[in-house]
Amino acid sequence: MTIDALYLLHQALFGAVAASGFGVLFNFGWRDLRWCAASGALALTTRTIAQDANWSLEAATFAAAAAVGCGGRLLRARLGIASNSLAVAGCIPMVPGFFAAQAIFGLFELTAPHLNDPGKIAMTTMEFSLRVIFTIGAIGAGLSIATHIFRSEVHD
Amino acid sequence: MHQLTMNVPAAAHGADPAPDPSELERIAMAALEVGRLLMETGARAEIVHEDCSMVARSFGADRVDLRSGHASVDITVGRGGSTITRTMEVGPHGVDHRLGLGLRDLVRRIQQGNLTPSEALAKATGLKRDTPHFPPWLVALASGIACAAFGRLLGLDWPGFLPVAAAGAVGQAVRQVLLRRLVNVFVIAASVAFLSSSLAELGASRAGSATVNVAMVASVLMLVPGVPALNAQSDIMEGHPTLGTARGVCVIMLLTFIATGVLLAQVLLGVQP
Repeated sequence: MTIDALYLLHQALFGAVAASGFGVLFNFGWRDLRWCAASGALALTTRTIAQDANWSLEAATFAAAAAVGCGGRLLRARLGIASNSLAVAGCIPMVPGFFAAQAIFGLFELTAPHLNDPGKIAMTTMEFSLRVIFTIGAIGAGLSIATHIFRSEVHD
Repeated sequence: MHQLTMNVPAAAHGADPAPDPSELERIAMAALEVGRLLMETGARAEIVHEDCSMVARSFGADRVDLRSGHASVDITVGRGGSTITRTMEVGPHGVDHRLGLGLRDLVRRIQQGNLTPSEALAKATGLKRDTPHFPPWLVALASGIACAAFGRLLGLDWPGFLPVAAAGAVGQAVRQVLLRRLVNVFVIAASVAFLSSSLAELGASRAGSATVNVAMVASVLMLVPGVPALNAQSDIMEGHPTLGTARGVCVIMLLTFIATGVLLAQVLLGVQP
């Protein structure tokens, strides 16, 4: 496994920027925005390392979500009940919005009157749809595992 | 859409055998207000149920039954032989972290016995009004930058970065105006997606970007309902499949409207999807 350090830094940096930008949109306080950035950076770093080790996108996303969820739990004493929300904010940059859009474009294309290669379009659409389902499932499962294994008296 | 989800065991503290019906009414309304606001701030069903029950039990209810739907929350509270059932409508679902934290803190104070039901209701309503928010221009700017950063993760080239940030920011500003005017959220999604992706295409192609398609999609990523998508899954996993399914359907509908807006922009501007 050889990791391009510059690429890893790029992914971590833009994961942090995306997560903290969404943190503002979700009305996190100023103090929590740095934790959103840290959470996004951890998620994208883990996912990039896992993908570099030839893991599929879905498996890498699961590992990243679990890492962020566990990180939030470890810092629970410091972050309080915000820890789970911060983990979710960190995972937002991994939500496959691009794949979802491509899948819906594919569905629209399949209903066009004159298709050149409907089988190929159907396969591509199916692939994007499955990636959306599995990736969102991977994020949810990764976060839930941390939440449920390290369950506390008060949910967060 | 509703689901019956929780039966809370009798409270340990002394129960009043014949409570004043207006007291039960105040307990139910305080618990429902907390539940409604939590739903509107993007909390999972389990948290809504847990906190509503905690509020009602802290005020002396020895029986609490709840069901949460996408558009309303119902509660039955009882003490001794008396019970009442009340319903409260839930407004548009959003994400507001600071309000959510404020509500959870209020629930803790109620649990400590510091407030009466009427005071709790007033405080919950006050929290909605007084919770600080970032200025709209900052939210728009941050959303634009987040979209551009998201774009970089998807392979957007550098010439497309600023046009995507600008298009996302303009889209978010327009979205905020439309939300204040209570325009339908699906119509907002399609309109803002059309506007942002058109601006991104025009800006990115003039800036010499080779990834115009990525730019068009990246500029609308602030519209993607990521938190509701994750909540839908959590709700189903945690035993609230009806609410989870309703949330999931809303997510699919929103994605469809976003894609429609982007596709319309692609057709009008002659971009190959």
